Amino acid sequence: MSEMWINMGPQHPMTHGLWNLRVKIDGEVIVDVDPELGYLHRGIEKISEDRHYNEVVTLMDRTCYVAGLAWEHLYIIASEKALHIEPPERAEYLRVMCEEFQRLGSHIMWFSAFVVDIGLLTPLLYGMRDRDLVLDLFQSYTGARMTYEYMRVGGVRNDLPPGFTDRARTVLDWLMARFDEYDKLTLGSDIFHKRCDNLGILKANDCIAHGVTGPMLRSAGVKRDLRKDRPYAAYDRVEFDVAGADSADVTGRYLVRMEEMRQSVRILRQVLDWLDRNPGPVMARELPRWLGAPYAPVGREGYLLKRNYPKGVGFSSIEEPHGEAQAYIVNEGGEHPYRVKLKSPVFSNISAARQYLVGYRVADIPPIMGSVDVCIGESDR
Amino acid sequence: MSASPSVRPAPVARSMTLPPESLRLEGELPMAGAAVPFVEIEALRAREFIPAAKEALGSLISNRSRETLIGPVFNWAGRNSLFPLHWGLACCAIEFAAAFGARWDAERFGVVARSSPRQCDLMIVNGTVTWKVAHKLITLYEQMPEPKWVIAMGNCATGGGPFRTAYSVVPGVDKLVPVDVYIAGCPPRPEALLDGILTLEKLIRERKE
Amino acid sequence: MGPEELRAALAPALGPSLVGVEPFEGFAARVRFRREGATELFRAVHGLGNTHLSMVAGIDWVDHREVLYIVWSDAAKQYTLLSADLPADDPHIETASGVWPSANWHERETWELVDITFDHHPDLRHLLTPDGYEFRPLLRSFKIHEPEELEVKVRHV
Ligand code: SF4
Repeated sequence: MSEMWINMGPQHPMTHGLWNLRVKIDGEVIVDVDPELGYLHRGIEKISEDRHYNEVVTLMDRTCYVAGLAWEHLYIIASEKALHIEPPERAEYLRVMCEEFQRLGSHIMWFSAFVVDIGLLTPLLYGMRDRDLVLDLFQSYTGARMTYEYMRVGGVRNDLPPGFTDRARTVLDWLMARFDEYDKLTLGSDIFHKRCDNLGILKANDCIAHGVTGPMLRSAGVKRDLRKDRPYAAYDRVEFDVAGADSADVTGRYLVRMEEMRQSVRILRQVLDWLDRNPGPVMARELPRWLGAPYAPVGREGYLLKRNYPKGVGFSSIEEPHGEAQAYIVNEGGEHPYRVKLKSPVFSNISAARQYLVGYRVADIPPIMGSVDVCIGESDR
Repeated sequence: MSASPSVRPAPVARSMTLPPESLRLEGELPMAGAAVPFVEIEALRAREFIPAAKEALGSLISNRSRETLIGPVFNWAGRNSLFPLHWGLACCAIEFAAAFGARWDAERFGVVARSSPRQCDLMIVNGTVTWKVAHKLITLYEQMPEPKWVIAMGNCATGGGPFRTAYSVVPGVDKLVPVDVYIAGCPPRPEALLDGILTLEKLIRERKE
Repeated sequence: MGPEELRAALAPALGPSLVGVEPFEGFAARVRFRREGATELFRAVHGLGNTHLSMVAGIDWVDHREVLYIVWSDAAKQYTLLSADLPADDPHIETASGVWPSANWHERETWELVDITFDHHPDLRHLLTPDGYEFRPLLRSFKIHEPEELEVKVRHV
């Protein structure tokens, strides 16, 4: 049979974003794959070089728009290292809280999009309903639903409003009950098993060779989780288990993400208790004066200090909802970073597409790519 | 279920009441030489619309006045069933999706996202437009059948937003396609998107064929 | 594995192309090398258990360019930073994608944004920027423009 290339994208119901999956097919069977990115390349690394450290946080929210707070956290850890600033302990716990809530939000968003790919429409509405509850919590302390600008070099912008922790616990209780409901809707459905079991298999060796991280790697039996292996912020002070599965297929990735959400709830309960017991400052005392000002004052007087500020390099690596995200920030003295390099887990996960797509059929592409959890904002930057 | 709480009077009789001037349809038919009974098609509920449409179509068939009668019917139907293109450009697409979720339920306004541009009459540009995607966006726009509308959702689509200075970003989608409604916000909340869609409905209603 | 052990393990295979192994915050060590010994270094580092390459980055230091590789060892649970300086007028280095297949896309990105050529790369095409894009945006000489100016420049794409 003759082979041909078809384009799935940039506008295609499978893509969940703006990218193009070129597949070479022989009849129904996929024989080659060539993903094409860049349709959302906004040059975030370049415009960061023209912004103040705190202004770059704005861009980080938009880098990965379903996990904005996780990317803020990534950037803030790296720039604090580059600027030699220590955040107070309460800020670290608040950041862990942000990141875990963001993981819940991101995974629920993934769930909503993924179930549509395999033809189940009901869980979409349930998922979007529950995600809105998480976003309501964000809104109550950051003021925004998706683009928060909450973290600052040296801490976080503001403390929690009164009564927040109780409200958060109510939401967590509600969500915990909903996860079982999700499982019933999906794992209890024949459609789900027929479409997802033994599909898109990517074994541990291939995952590691092609740089695949996150739930995809953990579903292949490698329990690598940077929150455990290389603890940052307050993750060494909370208890949780690393989710894992052995099947390395689409169902495995589903199970890992579901378990991760349950573990996030577990972390959040501990963090909320800690926050209740330990009031304190949320911003570092000693900040260079130019960092305190989010915008350049007219005469730029405060900026004279910048010349004396020590140089440095900051590196951070966090377990973002999609996998291992990294930031490498070079501070050459001055109010702008010299270079901001971001590494997105989705970028690597898509780059391995040939490994987990070839040999399957065209109709298998939506569930497989859905299980990868593609967020084009962060892979293109 | 108990008795229906609806207390609205039965419809159809409204075809005898005079609607506002802008909505009135009457005129001389060249063939019949008599005034055509106008049909008010402002009704927003389906069960009111069906009898009204029947009457309109009936008079169409009898009087063969395609231009004067069928245009408003299509206007009514079109503006109440805008089908946006189903695609996600960037962050605003997530709020676009939320607007179709359980809490906002955009489908109650007749807005149903379709994946093929051939079935759409509304393009919601929900995110940052880069030069790399620009010609694809134009292709999609040209594939949509007339009449069609464009909503620029968010600051990026309006004027480049936070990426205005970036080397790869189109500073405003109106450089590529004509835009009917701009929605400010980064991202606009789902309410704002719904408001934008309702604004567009108003624009379509005032449209002269 | 600390810097000293790493130097002891790498020095025999690399000889003069190993410039130095120094402690570096956040990493097990920073290994600086000359590009002549790139492939041997990648093989040796991979052989020490650093099986996961998480990123490749380029930095434009105006007078020269720097290329960075960050690798992770599951056994040691540590990152190691590999870096090489390249002359600004002829920035090229051997590809790492033969050792770590994940380097493929990272090198494509570094090539198109920072203008570092990777020799013997299997597939050096544009990834994020459109085909035929002639600018290298992450070089310091590429200035951030006002949109109107830039439009003229990029329109042809
Ligand atoms: S307007 Fe804001 S939220 Fe919307 S796409 Fe642009 S940056 Fe994202």
